[in-house]
Amino acid sequence: MAGHNQQSTTNQPASRKPEGVMKHLISFAIMIVLTALAFYLVATDVVPEGWVLPLIIIFAAIQVFLQLFTFMHLDQKGSGYYTLFIMAGILIAVVSAVGIILM
Amino acid sequence: MGTLIVLLVLALFLTAIFTGGYNKDFLDRVKTSKVWDWLTTVDHKKIAILYFMSGFFFFIVGGIEALFMRLQLIVPHNDLFVGDTFNELLTMHGTTMIFLAAMPMIFGLMNAIVPLQIGARDVAFPFVNALGFWLFFAGGLLLNLSWIFGGAPDAGWTSYTSLALNEYSPGPGIDYYVLGLQISGIGTLIGGLNFLVTIINLRAPGMTYLRMPLFTWTSFVTSALILFAFPALTVALLLLMFDRLFGANFFDYTMGGSTVIWQHLFWIFGHPEVYIVILPAFGVMSEVISTFSKKRLFGYTSMVFATVLIGFLGFMVWVHHMFTVGLGPVSNSLFAVATMAIAVPTGIKVFNWLFTMWGGEIRFTTAMLFAVGFIPTFVMGGMTGVMLALPPADYQYQDSYFVVAHFHYVLVGGTVFGMFAGAYYWWPKMFGKLLDEKLGKFHFWTFLIGFHLTFFPQHFLGLFGMPRRVFTYQSGVGLETINLISTIGVFGMTIGTLAFIYNIYKTFKVEAQAPADPWNGRTLEWAIPSPPPEYNFAQLPRVRGLDPFWLEKQAGNKGMTPAEPLGSIHMPSPSYLPVLMSLGFFIAGFGFIARGNYAVGILGLIVVVITMFMRSFEQDHGYHIEPEEIEDANKGVQA
Repeated sequence: MAGHNQQSTTNQPASRKPEGVMKHLISFAIMIVLTALAFYLVATDVVPEGWVLPLIIIFAAIQVFLQLFTFMHLDQKGSGYYTLFIMAGILIAVVSAVGIILM
Repeated sequence: MGTLIVLLVLALFLTAIFTGGYNKDFLDRVKTSKVWDWLTTVDHKKIAILYFMSGFFFFIVGGIEALFMRLQLIVPHNDLFVGDTFNELLTMHGTTMIFLAAMPMIFGLMNAIVPLQIGARDVAFPFVNALGFWLFFAGGLLLNLSWIFGGAPDAGWTSYTSLALNEYSPGPGIDYYVLGLQISGIGTLIGGLNFLVTIINLRAPGMTYLRMPLFTWTSFVTSALILFAFPALTVALLLLMFDRLFGANFFDYTMGGSTVIWQHLFWIFGHPEVYIVILPAFGVMSEVISTFSKKRLFGYTSMVFATVLIGFLGFMVWVHHMFTVGLGPVSNSLFAVATMAIAVPTGIKVFNWLFTMWGGEIRFTTAMLFAVGFIPTFVMGGMTGVMLALPPADYQYQDSYFVVAHFHYVLVGGTVFGMFAGAYYWWPKMFGKLLDEKLGKFHFWTFLIGFHLTFFPQHFLGLFGMPRRVFTYQSGVGLETINLISTIGVFGMTIGTLAFIYNIYKTFKVEAQAPADPWNGRTLEWAIPSPPPEYNFAQLPRVRGLDPFWLEKQAGNKGMTPAEPLGSIHMPSPSYLPVLMSLGFFIAGFGFIARGNYAVGILGLIVVVITMFMRSFEQDHGYHIEPEEIEDANKGVQA
């Protein structure tokens, strides 16, 4: 371990699954398309008015999923801290939202 | 645009004049100058000094604003600062003290001490650290320039809508508030993230979570609170910006918006914010009391648990700032119960501090005096807090001086005392010199007495019916004497602060260097020289338990046992990009405040994007310090 000049970052697995560029590019493309689609739905009358809101919420959910798993590597090992902080964030957001809406 | 070019040329001229003329060595001379060194530093110890000193500067600015307000209120029907000016003073006092004084002073201490306490060589992202400071500074500067250009914000530090909308607050005042806080808020957010990553990843071998000193623990929880609370402020400010600058109607109820949403968003941020500023002070107190009682902190695990619990509950109580809005009895009672629950972990902490001192070998240094003075003061603030947490009683107290007295007892008695204690305790570690103890004690006593003289009578002002945020009051209704006493008290705090400034000045003049361990300390930061070398630890220490340095001293060792052989140390290179990027944000902020002409605003954003691009494609892997240099430096210290 001579010349060991960087502090170890804990809880990181030594080797990671190699991942292709394609996966990222495809996710990125899907996210761009979904964003554009959301704007398109709001700006035009392609779908009935009642459908617009549920549809863009579904698009948003897909994007969150892609963001977390493709770009933030939540599917890999050693993501305990991320999960902890994301869960804490969701909990606080839910409490705040429920507080505002119901109270 | 033309103005910008003129300013740029002027700046170049001035630099040339001060560095000795413009010739082919010009750039080299600039790069070797001290100013350039500080502008481009990514060293957490230098950034700590920048944070602490600029925070202290804004503390003085906010203090002067407070002094002006108390001078106006010294007698009834005074006409020193009337109407709008008084509103500007009270708004800027609150905003400056919370965002520009308390936060940076806390970040200053965190930067200086947390990496040393966990045995790290720097924070996880040194560049982001520098960027965080410069963004805070750009935002703070922008906010305070409002005094000169167009009038300061005047809707209170909470900036409630509808008062803060264009209709009732024309002029650029609130725009300065919105954009200044937005910019400094980005800085705080990335600073908080940085400390989370640092504490999770960069702990020395053997430094488990339950061996971390309490200041590190409170910094960790504070950073998590920043991560979750600041986005709410960002969103609130963004919505207000759209309402004010681009004609949106988020808060205008006549157009289908909601006024109360601002209050919700502001307090979802604002309540955790008060825990953000108090928790690190708790951490400082725990370190100081433990060191100067020469005892291990009583109930360490319960202290950690209480800290986490306070952090968690901090998000569940924001509606107690809105009891009188009319949200209904169910909501009010729910949040009242949650609020009173916070008294439990806080009480655990207070008793733990008392039990730490119990039977200890107490030394009353200035830092310890501030810590001991903090306990009763903070408990009084907590008591009035529980009183305010009762909705029926709150209907009587709300918007009166009772509230003012309450939050000054917790914020000054908690945070400010904490920061002063931390300053006296860690000054040798930050600057390599010991602050004068005699002046320090003078500072403590004048400040403590002045503080209680100012704010204790304000409880009664509130109970007698004096509303907060008013610039005058009637004579003959029993408010004269109390107001006079309150104003006299401010002079005590002023004298104390002046003594501190003189102490800093005097300490810089003193030649004598502080020893590495002046207080017989317990934690890792005292195991290395004061001030530490830029790489902090030549060899990372092995941590064997809580209070690691104390354990080694008890075992008869001179220093920490190294956990690694001496090797070359990787260091990050300094960078001018943080300053440049913050300057871009600053220009953009000014451009949008100027309204109507977005050219300057967009120009500023272009600067931001360009600097981000430069950062992304920069090929800079830092440099290494070789073992020989480290050994030479160590000999120099011992000789």
